[in-house]
Amino acid sequence: MTRTEYYSRMEFLAGEVRDRFGLSPERVTKRDFARIFRAEGVRLDRWRGPLKRLRGAYFNDDLGPTIMVNAALPDDPYIFTLGHELKHHLVDAGSVLSYCDASNESAMVEIGAEVFAAELLFSESAFRQQLDTLGVVPPNCTAEHLVHLKHRTQTTLSYSGLAKRTMRLGFAREGSLPNGGWRRIEDSLYPNPFRRRGVGARVLRHG
Amino acid sequence: MTSRSTPLTEFVGQRIRDLRVGYASGEGLSQEALAKALGKTGNTISRWETGTYKPTLDDLDQLARFFAVSILSFFPRDNSEDDNVAALLRTARQLDAADLEELSRYAEFRKARSLYAGGGRPAPGRKRKAQGDAD
Repeated sequence: MTRTEYYSRMEFLAGEVRDRFGLSPERVTKRDFARIFRAEGVRLDRWRGPLKRLRGAYFNDDLGPTIMVNAALPDDPYIFTLGHELKHHLVDAGSVLSYCDASNESAMVEIGAEVFAAELLFSESAFRQQLDTLGVVPPNCTAEHLVHLKHRTQTTLSYSGLAKRTMRLGFAREGSLPNGGWRRIEDSLYPNPFRRRGVGARVLRHG
Repeated sequence: MTSRSTPLTEFVGQRIRDLRVGYASGEGLSQEALAKALGKTGNTISRWETGTYKPTLDDLDQLARFFAVSILSFFPRDNSEDDNVAALLRTARQLDAADLEELSRYAEFRKARSLYAGGGRPAPGRKRKAQGDAD
């Protein structure tokens, strides 16, 4: 199987999961994942120990399938990581340990997990429809368009994920969208915050 | 957390005492000093050591970090558990060293949780949210 075929298969699988669990094509929440993990018999651990680049890990050994996720992640990356690790459970359960950080992000199984998670959180077809509704004409999509899109859909796919997809699909030229500073753009367009902030950053420390 | 004293709780208590007494190459640490370092009371430490209170997994994680030992060292076991965790983590050698250490702590915590299950009954009253519990 080529890489392209593999990634297409991951997108298809994300659609199947969305149908099976009746998920919105634009927004998947922590509660949705809790329901999926319960049905799949996967234990979810929010780990509050200090992690630098590690976002999450999937274990499958004699103790049963378990997903560890870095509790300090903000909401969107936290939810994306749940999607990423779900792919490992559904596809790579033969491995006793999978983890996601910067050191292995180019491996096909890891890119496949990113593709799966992005498609699960916000389907590409729903994304195209939303851009169409906003009147975006390729390749002129701007950062402001994406802020409006996030406002309309309340999608849990991060700005970074939205920007990558926008450029990959040709709605914006490569490098034309910012790597950061989304909060500032959001504040300028929507002075009243349109989503809860900092929830994922509230980390309970033991002791 | 309280429990009826069980062999496991007594083993854990003895281990805490051994680590406290042997702290700093045998200089030792008072129960009060350990309590202060952990944000507990001296009574709690004393009751852990006598097996009157059963420390939670969070408490054991905190103790393990303080004494720089594995959380699995609080449990009677053979070495196969260490081997299992080591084998599991061999696949993660590319990780940043600090992350690998933390992943190792998590793997040991997960193992400890399975060893601790059924080792005593929870105290009545408010349930504490434990390390690892999901939303």
